[in-house]
Amino acid sequence: MTDAHLVLDHLEKRFGAGPPAVASLSLEVRRGELLGLLGPSGCGKTTTLRMIGGLADATAGHIRVGGRDVTSLPPHLRDMGIVFQNYALFPHMNVAGNVAFGLEMRKRPKAEIAQKVERALAMVHLEGFGHRKPRELSGGQQQRVALARALVIEPAILLLDEPLSNLDAKLREEMRGEIRDIQKRLGITTIFVTHDQVEALAMCDRIAVMRAGELEQVGTPFEIYENPATPFVADFVGRINRLEGVRDAAGDIVAGSLRLRAARAGAAGKVTVMIRPHRIHIAEGAIGPEWNDAAGTIRRATYVGDVLSCAVECDGTVLTVERHTHPGQPIPREGEAVRLAWRISDTMAFEA
Amino acid sequence: MPIASRIALALLLPAMLVNLAVFLLPMGNLALLSFREANAGGAMLEGVTLATWGKMFSDIFYAQLVLDSVVIALSITVLTLLCSYPIALFIYRAPDRWKNILIVACISPLLVSAVVRTYGWMVILGDRGIIAAMLRGLGMERAPRMVFNTTGVVVGLVEILMPYMILALIAGFGRLNASLEEAASSLGARPFAVFRRVVLPLTLPGIMLGCLLAFVLAVSSFITPKLLGGGRVFLLATEIYDQAIVTLNWPVAAALSIVVLVIFGFALMLYGRLARAVA
Amino acid sequence: MGRLLFHLLVAAMMVFLLAPVLLVIPMSFSADRVLAWPPSGFSFKWYVAMMQERGLAEAARNSVILAVIVTAATLAIALPAALALDRWQFAGRDAVLALLTAPLLLPTIVLALALLIIFVGAGLLGTWPGLMLAHMLVTLPYGVRVLSTALSTLPPSVEEAAASLGAPPAAVFRRITLPLMVPGLVATCAIVFLVSFDEVVISLFLVGPHLVTLPVALFRYVESRTDPMVAAVSTLLVVFSLAIVLVLDRAVGLRRAVGK
Repeated sequence: MTDAHLVLDHLEKRFGAGPPAVASLSLEVRRGELLGLLGPSGCGKTTTLRMIGGLADATAGHIRVGGRDVTSLPPHLRDMGIVFQNYALFPHMNVAGNVAFGLEMRKRPKAEIAQKVERALAMVHLEGFGHRKPRELSGGQQQRVALARALVIEPAILLLDEPLSNLDAKLREEMRGEIRDIQKRLGITTIFVTHDQVEALAMCDRIAVMRAGELEQVGTPFEIYENPATPFVADFVGRINRLEGVRDAAGDIVAGSLRLRAARAGAAGKVTVMIRPHRIHIAEGAIGPEWNDAAGTIRRATYVGDVLSCAVECDGTVLTVERHTHPGQPIPREGEAVRLAWRISDTMAFEA
Repeated sequence: MPIASRIALALLLPAMLVNLAVFLLPMGNLALLSFREANAGGAMLEGVTLATWGKMFSDIFYAQLVLDSVVIALSITVLTLLCSYPIALFIYRAPDRWKNILIVACISPLLVSAVVRTYGWMVILGDRGIIAAMLRGLGMERAPRMVFNTTGVVVGLVEILMPYMILALIAGFGRLNASLEEAASSLGARPFAVFRRVVLPLTLPGIMLGCLLAFVLAVSSFITPKLLGGGRVFLLATEIYDQAIVTLNWPVAAALSIVVLVIFGFALMLYGRLARAVA
Repeated sequence: MGRLLFHLLVAAMMVFLLAPVLLVIPMSFSADRVLAWPPSGFSFKWYVAMMQERGLAEAARNSVILAVIVTAATLAIALPAALALDRWQFAGRDAVLALLTAPLLLPTIVLALALLIIFVGAGLLGTWPGLMLAHMLVTLPYGVRVLSTALSTLPPSVEEAAASLGAPPAAVFRRITLPLMVPGLVATCAIVFLVSFDEVVISLFLVGPHLVTLPVALFRYVESRTDPMVAAVSTLLVVFSLAIVLVLDRAVGLRRAVGK
């Protein structure tokens, strides 16, 4: 990538003996891109973010911003804006003081600071809040102050460490859109750490999925969801059915009680088969050759308003089937016999 | 945020130097001193010797001293526990609003010098003091002697140590809560049984901690025994003072100090064993 | 019924606990020549006598000056130490903290004797520097403890946030760490001042003919005489200590200050 703005070059973090927290991570982020670091707790995403920001020393590897090696620079010289998970607002300063802090450190003139603080607060829809103290603000408001504080210094890189995880669901969705809008408007290169895959899919230009200190896959939300590189990624992002099976020389796979074919050919041997629940349909009528099929009985039907989810048992193997509800469509009853069908092209198989 | 080792070392150095100068060095010197001997005038004789320790173990006076100090300290500990437990329990169960005020009230005596508090007891227990006046008012001819004897020392020390015991008890009450007592009652236990079978066992860690604290403070206490004892109560601490300042026999004073530390050590060890057994 | 008995018991114990401190106050206004209860009349004469007792006045002045010096010195040494212990992870960290706190665990009589012997040899007996160092033996542990607690209750990440916004380490300390530590600093000052001001056993061993502190002067007075003048001094001391605590509570709130 020639227009890479932020480059992580074999970045590593070790704490004592044992496996490293981050193992030889290499990643390139384009200018103005919103990249998500997604993974379960302990996967090393926050450690990586802290290394980028200079809050943790890298054991090995390099970090380059715009070609310049910043690996050994202390945090106050890196020109990055960080939004912490608990916001880390200075309790002894009011909102305006918090937002102005970075500009004061850069020795900007008072008039300029006042003007920029006002604009930053307006950008996060907190006009007139300057005199309030952090403890007088709600969680969402604190988060916006933290964002304004990080952006007002016009940093080269913006780092967000799970900024939405302390907010309730509705607020989270609202802030997702707002952060995305601001980021796009300012065109600022951003790294966004989260364990929430829906959040990552909704906000990010690209997602880097991490597990146990290593990169599993980097790609756009579409690529990650449709073409996961490993069973872990397929399982972590979105809901999925997972079956263990064996592929024979002819390419047929036997998984539990099912016989099926996968989208991509591969060597004979053990495979992990994964199918998205909403790609499985309850079949009515003939089933064509490009489809896998199975006969089963409804074990449980769960109606949550917009989605109908059914657990279908096919001779010992249980598949979850999802579809959007439509008016007039009856809800399948427990014990009903059904035929399931799904495209061969929707069937993922990963070699063990 | 981590800081460079060299800076941290520099920051720590002054505190370590002070500690070395007024703690480690003097204490080490004290321990060594017990292996020297002094003559009648207080001058130190040359050479390392076990003579001082020999005197410790052979002279019945010192054995009596240690025994008295330990016995008195133990009785003070028990009495302090009995007086403090109700208060601690009351505070622990009190609503938060009152808790703070009560705790502050119990700690407030600690703000005042031991001399003042001991003097207060001399006012109360003296021959013309408050208790004597009350007893005379009730018809007693002559009130019993309550100052310048062991009784005065015990009463005074119990009161002085109560704040420490109360704090230790409350700190150790952690496992107790109202719902446990309610559960026991609902299962048919009468109030005393609830206390004996639920409250007491759960507050045991606090009791042990408080007793340890009270004992070590009592066995090494100086001001109160000296003032309320009127020179007639001989305990380890008063003897150390007399030997050091009056008789000027430093090796003996040093040896007595080591004895106090050994008693401390025993108490701590006993506490450790019991604490593990209870946990 | 049981509840009532229990409450009565508690009340009785509380009276027992607070009796000496409180009863000193009416006694100080006694018109009698000796300690007697009830006092035969109300009089200010013992307060007057106290002011005129030169030894006491000088001892009081010494105690205040000493306490101020000790407080300043303790703060100057304990704050860097607490910072280093909080921020620097090294192998012997717990041992160092234990060592710095150890003086509080030993009986003051033993510490006093140990210091006496060393001071005589070093010519520090009855001197200001000697007494100052001796007091620091017991005030430093308090200082390090309280300041360590204050540091550990700082809001997480605020210092990192300040650094990320461009503040070099000195600015982080000046603009963020120090202001947020004010309650802890004030608490340390109050505790250390009172500990030094009230310190009696170690001072008793180490004072000299030209330098006496108030607790020692009081001790000697009580040892030799029993009249209500000490009650007058005691009342003033009680009021004085109470005033310091009230100021502390007003300024930063007692609970915040002690970090609990």
